Amino acid sequence: MDIIVTLKQVPDPEAPKETFRIDESGMKILNPPNIDPVINGYDENAIEAALQLKEAAGGKVVAVSMGETGATRALKQAMAMGVDEGILLQDESFADADAASTAYVLARAIEKIGSYGLILCGRQASDWDQSQVPSGIAELLGLPSVTAVQKVALQGDTVRVERILEDGYEVLDIHGPCVVTVSNEANKPRYPTLKGIMTAGKKQIPVWDAAELGVDAAQVGSAGALTRVSKLYVPSFDGDCEFIAGETPEEMGANLALRLRELKII
Amino acid sequence: MDFELSEQQQLIRTEVRNLAGKFDWGYWRDLDRTGEYPHAFFNEFAANGWLGTVIPTEYGGSGLGVTEAAIVLLEICASGAGTSGASPIHFSMFPPMPIILHGSDEMKRRYLPPIARGEMKLAFSVTEPNVGSDTTQLQTTAVRDGDEWAINGRKIWCTNAQNADRVLILTRTTPADQVAKRSKGMSLFFAEMDRSAISVRLIEKMGRHAVDSNELFIDDLRVPHADLVGEEGEGFSHIMTGLNPERIVIAAEAVGIGRAALDKAVHYAKDRVVFGRPIGRNQGVQFPLAEAYAHLEAAELMTLKAAWLYDNGLPCGKEANIAKLLAAEAGCDAVDHAVQTHGGFGYAREFDVERLYREVRLYKIAPISQQMVLNYLGEHVLGMPRSY
Repeated sequence: MDIIVTLKQVPDPEAPKETFRIDESGMKILNPPNIDPVINGYDENAIEAALQLKEAAGGKVVAVSMGETGATRALKQAMAMGVDEGILLQDESFADADAASTAYVLARAIEKIGSYGLILCGRQASDWDQSQVPSGIAELLGLPSVTAVQKVALQGDTVRVERILEDGYEVLDIHGPCVVTVSNEANKPRYPTLKGIMTAGKKQIPVWDAAELGVDAAQVGSAGALTRVSKLYVPSFDGDCEFIAGETPEEMGANLALRLRELKII
Repeated sequence: MDFELSEQQQLIRTEVRNLAGKFDWGYWRDLDRTGEYPHAFFNEFAANGWLGTVIPTEYGGSGLGVTEAAIVLLEICASGAGTSGASPIHFSMFPPMPIILHGSDEMKRRYLPPIARGEMKLAFSVTEPNVGSDTTQLQTTAVRDGDEWAINGRKIWCTNAQNADRVLILTRTTPADQVAKRSKGMSLFFAEMDRSAISVRLIEKMGRHAVDSNELFIDDLRVPHADLVGEEGEGFSHIMTGLNPERIVIAAEAVGIGRAALDKAVHYAKDRVVFGRPIGRNQGVQFPLAEAYAHLEAAELMTLKAAWLYDNGLPCGKEANIAKLLAAEAGCDAVDHAVQTHGGFGYAREFDVERLYREVRLYKIAPISQQMVLNYLGEHVLGMPRSY
């Protein structure tokens, strides 16, 4: 079965917290200087799940990403892990997309790829944490979707998944093409081997722009966005340390409880 | 002129950083204490194909250059693995160089694939107790006996001998007084580490406790003629061809260790509050770290220039030596400032810069001392009289 995986580049979550910056007026999260963006962690879980399915049942894995030129690095990394092909969706008009206009472009690209039995996505992206794009793709393509799975397996043309619930999981069988979002419980993504890196280095990454995809200009990027960020800010956390006095540990404890009640914490 | 790493080189850097990052500071701290070889780390790098970085593709490697090897080793060191992490990988990349460059096709087919897979660990043995940098005076002999050679002698500073399956060993096969030049008459063997003929004595040392250094006592070691590397009598020149690449990667390792220590020091300087402010706000703490950073950047640039020259088939002796000189200085200075930044905690094992301090010092001594590099530059680059 051929599988399509969607990828997003995000600022490195491992970057030191003091490097986190936003552009308040432009309503954007800025990538920290000198720290390369990385593949969204959940998307790596989706890649790993796709590669395991390919190893078990054959087929081809294609990764598709909408982004700037730097996103080719994410696609190369995916290909170094074992993904067969990577496709970059890039056009000036795609800039400032929200989840809806991103899903639209990805859905058009998936239609253009044509051959697939399963679309795997990360359960959410670690920059905005919206979890909207995969469901949007499913809606636009008229496909069933299952979100946040911890296991995905193939039984012929049937996709069997374990969907995570608050107190356990449910097992679902989906017949025919579908969208599945993969959670971090599903697997531990592999590291690319040196041979994988070299194989990926030899492959070309086609770039599909708006014309190539034949998209409606009113539905892409900021023009097609259905949501607007009205305010973006870094919350401030102010700490204050107060020592509670007392002659004995018991008295200190009693005074602490009184103070907490005074502050309406208990 | 283009200073950008290629996309592939950038990916190599990222992935080595990620893989090495699996092994945290505590892993190396424990091995430093126990002296145990980093098997898990070595096996992980073997499984992901990194040991075969410079081994040609037809023999199971990736056929990449010294630039990529330098990137790999720099990132391993920058992860905090230090020399303890770099040496096991280094010793799968550089001892095979003479085999790659001068070995017979049959020898390459037999040995390079298992080396690339990490199934054959190597030791490298040139230095002798009474010889040091004057390699042409070495006293270990190999004498032809039918289809075999009999090797006898003593070697010192043989890295990896405790775990090695094979040792690349330089011997004298024609006495020095019977050859036109002292550098002739030496031969190189890729011998099985036959412990019935080789006694291995561990040398206790200052750092790199996870990777052993040894003295070898060789008593009638029998080596098949097929394990002679390259031409008989040309062992010294065969070794020499691998020296510039080794200096380049050694430089990369020193830069990486300096960078690991500097990262620790910068974090500490930002977090540690004394007299009501982070110590990093004091120029006395900040400037040495900024200076160390600048020196590391410059050393890395020279390292990559030397690697680029080598990979493009251009002479690189000057640059490889300068890279090693500058990187060893920059690495040692960076670690020294990192220890100083940590104050008393810098002297404690728990803060790890103490280990790096002991490890990085090696690079001013091996594989060639700073003074011998200066001799080379003075004599061969500046054209001054030989000073030794």
